[in-house]
Amino acid sequence: MAGTLELRQQVVDSMGMLLPRVLRREVPAVSEDTRLMEELGLTSSSTLELLLELEEELQIQINVEDVDREDFASIGRLADFIAGHTLPAE
Amino acid sequence: MSDFPGRPATTLDSVATYLPEQRVAIEDLAGPLGLTAMQVKMFRRFHGLAEVRVAPDATVVDLLLAAAGRLERLRGREHRVRYVLHARTFPVVVPYPISPPHEVCRRLGLDRAIAFTVTHHACATGLLAIDMAGRLLAGDGDPEALALVLAGEKTFTHDARLLPETSIFGEGASACLVGCSGTRDRLLAYAANQRGDFDDEVAPDDPGPRFQREYPACLGAAMLAAVARAGLRLDQIGLILPHNVNLVSWQRLARKLGFPADQVLLSNVPVLGHIFCADAFVNYQTAVARGMVRPGDRYVVAAAGAARGATFSAMVFEH
Repeated sequence: MAGTLELRQQVVDSMGMLLPRVLRREVPAVSEDTRLMEELGLTSSSTLELLLELEEELQIQINVEDVDREDFASIGRLADFIAGHTLPAE
Repeated sequence: MSDFPGRPATTLDSVATYLPEQRVAIEDLAGPLGLTAMQVKMFRRFHGLAEVRVAPDATVVDLLLAAAGRLERLRGREHRVRYVLHARTFPVVVPYPISPPHEVCRRLGLDRAIAFTVTHHACATGLLAIDMAGRLLAGDGDPEALALVLAGEKTFTHDARLLPETSIFGEGASACLVGCSGTRDRLLAYAANQRGDFDDEVAPDDPGPRFQREYPACLGAAMLAAVARAGLRLDQIGLILPHNVNLVSWQRLARKLGFPADQVLLSNVPVLGHIFCADAFVNYQTAVARGMVRPGDRYVVAAAGAARGATFSAMVFEH
């Protein structure tokens, strides 16, 4: 459980660095409540790119088969999803 | 129950396909298609695309003839073919006055057939062509008459090779003999929902993201409408034969519908890509070859097409 909470926090902490990379522009300070699509303008494609960047940054593998559009509602929701859908390291 | 009371049954008499031997990995398409390393990675990881087939030296007529030539049940019945329909994603694929379906008629000796091309539903046109073939045959009233529905196109332009952030097209072809009698795969229902508001010139407020957002609901609604018109429930459907646009959209749609993802035939997506209007027929052949449909099983064929506007279509068949 501690590992899951730790991973969740790591996801949130990584966003400040990864979002400007995915959106290719500066991004104001974000919080768990920041809405990825409505506020920041992430598209279906850039949300998937964000997952790949997170995998690389955190050295994890996300079970992407289960991801739904709703999981990108906010940074907090995305962190919840990733914490619960990370595949064991090979 | 059938959605077409009083009309003779529309049946799939036989289906044949042609897939070129040459395989191209999507990594090798990055340069020609102008894809970044990240875009290729996303296609492979999320969209489930790994390779496509191509036949660089073959024309579109060659592709169609290769598929039609494998229709064993066509031999000796050429005189019964009244209509030849080429179901196409792209309205224009050859210079005037070449007409692929007319050329196929000439080469196969289908000298009693009226030949024409069907477009306007983009990648969902294959289903439209089956419905049209069934209606034409029903109107003729000859139970022996047949129609030949052809599908397959060349990846001849950038637009015909890549659906940005969505899919990669491959080459191949299908040929389907449609009849109006017999007990083979019988069409129970057809639903097609056209959305002109997804046309980017009619609605200049960037309909791309809106199409992506509404795609699952629209295609799901077409599938449920077809199932309902067949007098069935979704849990009475054993298999979905999808269009091969990508994996992630079908995994999401299956979840949304509460339909088991392993009963959506997705195994051709990684190895063939999106073969325009031929996907349904290629997947049908795979399903039959693997024994995934048994006599009496009901299955759904679903496709969506986006070009000038969008079309979401589904058919229900009984095997």
